[in-house]
Amino acid sequence: MTTSSLEAVVDPQLIQQWIAQIGSDSSAAVPLLQAIQTEYGYVPRKAMDLVIQYSDINASQLFGVVTFYAQFRLRPVGRNRIKVCHGTACHVKGADRLNTALRQALDITDPEADTSRNGSYTMEDVACIGCCSLAPVMVIGDDVFPNLKGADSQRSLKKHAKSHNETLLGLEKAKPEKTESAPVENDEGSPE
Amino acid sequence: MSGEGLIVTVGEGTCGIAAGAREVFSLLQKKLPQAVFRTVGCAGMCHQEVMVEIGDETSGTTHLYGLVDKKNIPQIVAFHTADGELPAEMLIRSSDQPGLEKGKYLARQTRIALRNVGQLNPTSIEQYKARTGYQALEKIIKGGMTPDDVIKEVEVAGLRGRGGAGFPTHAKWRFARNAPGDLKYLICNGDEGDPGAFMDRSLLEGDPHSVLEGMLIAAYAIGAAKGYAYIRAEYPLAVINFNKAIKDARAAGYLGENILGSDFSFDVKVKEGAGAFVCGEETALLASIEGLRGMPRIRPPFPAIKGLFGKPTIINNVETLSNLAWIILNGGPAYSSIGTSDSKGTKVFALAGAIARGGLVEIPMGMSVRELLMEIGGGSSSEHPLKAVQLGGPSGGCIPESLFDTPIEYAAINATGAIMGSGGMVVMDTKSCMVDIARYFLEFTQRESCGKCTFCRIGNIRLREILTRICEGKGEMEDLDTLEELSNSVKDASLCGLGQTSPNPVLTTLRYFRDEYLAHVCDKKCPAGVCKGLIQHTIDQSQCTGCSICQRYCPVNCITGETKKPETWVIDTTVCINCGMCAEVCAPKALVVQ
Ligand SMILES: Cc1cc2nc3c(=O)[nH]c(=O)nc-3n(C[C@H](O)[C@H](O)[C@H](O)COP(=O)(O)O)c2cc1C
Ligand code: FES
Repeated sequence: MTTSSLEAVVDPQLIQQWIAQIGSDSSAAVPLLQAIQTEYGYVPRKAMDLVIQYSDINASQLFGVVTFYAQFRLRPVGRNRIKVCHGTACHVKGADRLNTALRQALDITDPEADTSRNGSYTMEDVACIGCCSLAPVMVIGDDVFPNLKGADSQRSLKKHAKSHNETLLGLEKAKPEKTESAPVENDEGSPE
Repeated sequence: MSGEGLIVTVGEGTCGIAAGAREVFSLLQKKLPQAVFRTVGCAGMCHQEVMVEIGDETSGTTHLYGLVDKKNIPQIVAFHTADGELPAEMLIRSSDQPGLEKGKYLARQTRIALRNVGQLNPTSIEQYKARTGYQALEKIIKGGMTPDDVIKEVEVAGLRGRGGAGFPTHAKWRFARNAPGDLKYLICNGDEGDPGAFMDRSLLEGDPHSVLEGMLIAAYAIGAAKGYAYIRAEYPLAVINFNKAIKDARAAGYLGENILGSDFSFDVKVKEGAGAFVCGEETALLASIEGLRGMPRIRPPFPAIKGLFGKPTIINNVETLSNLAWIILNGGPAYSSIGTSDSKGTKVFALAGAIARGGLVEIPMGMSVRELLMEIGGGSSSEHPLKAVQLGGPSGGCIPESLFDTPIEYAAINATGAIMGSGGMVVMDTKSCMVDIARYFLEFTQRESCGKCTFCRIGNIRLREILTRICEGKGEMEDLDTLEELSNSVKDASLCGLGQTSPNPVLTTLRYFRDEYLAHVCDKKCPAGVCKGLIQHTIDQSQCTGCSICQRYCPVNCITGETKKPETWVIDTTVCINCGMCAEVCAPKALVVQ
């Protein structure tokens, strides 16, 4: 997996700075991990070692906390993040199909994997993001996309990829072999 | 085309922004450079986002429009600046035409907790003050109300906790007030874990000062000097707006040392949650603030006696808190005059799912489920009739259509097997499968179980496995008895509310929709056409146009055929995973589900 190239380089000074700002006692564990994750997109092992070294938080507490809360991830992330809502309202309205369509576009086939092989996007399932009346919804970066069908999600992703210079492996692959059978004018055709 | 004398208000809650409110705002600003622009929080009519209100100072009229986008902006602009026609289709409410159908959504509500949401700019303390903001606090401190007076007022109001359990607020406060200790804490529970509800988000985002003023009133009543607002990390805008409110209130002397010159001091910090449903449970929430794994502990001792860092602590829900300033200003009797003998006041619900008009509604207790869904919510959003509504999220249960006349009050709702919960209402039409819903919730609670109690940790997994089996068409008759028996064991043998309530969705669907379970188990059919193991997609060649779009979206390449030759198109059912992508993109609806 090329995702290993996404490993973050951790700056010990930054960790020390956060400990000074946020605190070094046990109640600082969650906010410190949040600061780390905001900076690197995940919690690198190296960053945890540094927290243990510079603060009063011990290893068992820190590992206990980082593995308890769903927010924290220990694997590197792609350059962009897609959050697909799987709250009740989105589930009832077919959020599963967004996953199918997005994984197809990103060519993520391994059910355990969540990041495309070229490191462009990481997909996450999240619980309700609070716009249930606009279900199903997904979030790419900070933008919320409402009222999506599976195909819409692919189209939104395509636009996002274009403006962020990312390649969508799944769609690249599909193009050459299917151009004869798929008329081009249908490409943006909205399935009404 | 200048817009002089116009006041343009755009709703910019999370839902408004998602629907494109910021783009609408800047487009309008370009077209109406002379107008005054305001942004407000979410008015709760999420189905009408983006919403724009235009007030005209010259003529004294106001017009509220819904579903505004790039395309229809010119119509609105033309009507307000030149002699364009009124864009009547988008009109929700107008000072010229009272009683519009769409406006009923708002007209049928009684807004106390939501009194300011969608009416003011949440980042402006001045606008909050202009709407009686912080007057309740002044009344208490300058008018000489003692903490006991405050507790008494809330007792008269009959306010019960809106976080789910419905415990009388005054009783909880009195425990904490009487508990010995110099340092006490007041915590605002903004974790809102129910994955289908957004009442607290709208309040924190759209009217943070009313929650903050509620925290001040509660803190005064119990004698707390420190507070935390525990807010879900998934609500970034709520965190930003609440932090701004804290800063402004501190600068205005409403928060901090010696508030309004008295000897009452109180300060608040925001703590962001980290994505664990169980942390909404009060003792788990305390553990989480202390920096530990969010695992509940045995009560007693109750947090009111021994809570955060071992000190007396009160945890109140966001909506509970936002009612308080209104109660203090208008008096307990005014609040208790609304509602029923069992349940006083109002309750906010988040309507979502298969409902025509989804969004936030605040209704007087005692209104029937039917009135709420049909009159305010506008009934089904599709051609399929409504079948049930899920109340209280994963801890709650479903109420079938036959019981829609149940009044919304604690006792009556509990009698159906569902719970009032915090206010999530997910509406289901006949195209939703109740077995799938039960499976969905079990998957959620099982994942969120902290793992402390054996029955919750393992029992919920077994329940989920059985339900998954049934959804795949591999269920057997005895599974239904096992489901029931195990559900009751999990309820009895769990420590906190998570395990005690997680089987509710199973038990209520078994009770009201047993026929659907039987169809899955005996006939191997999913009547709603949802469960993937029990359906099969095929192509109706008489409808097919041979456009090939289904082929392009199929993730497993199981569709073949020649372009423009409908008679050649087929699905290889041995490969098909029934994901439903093809049916979704097929314009002539040639894909049938059997
Ligand atoms: C699993 C679980 C999750 C809960 N989640 C929430 C929540 O998200 N928000 C909330 O206010 N209360 C939640 N509660 C209820 C709280 O434990 C507590 O009763 C409530 O915050 C008290 O406030 P109130 O008296 O104002 O309702 C939850 C309870 C359980 C058992
Ligand atoms: S369920 Fe998806 S936003 Fe609430």
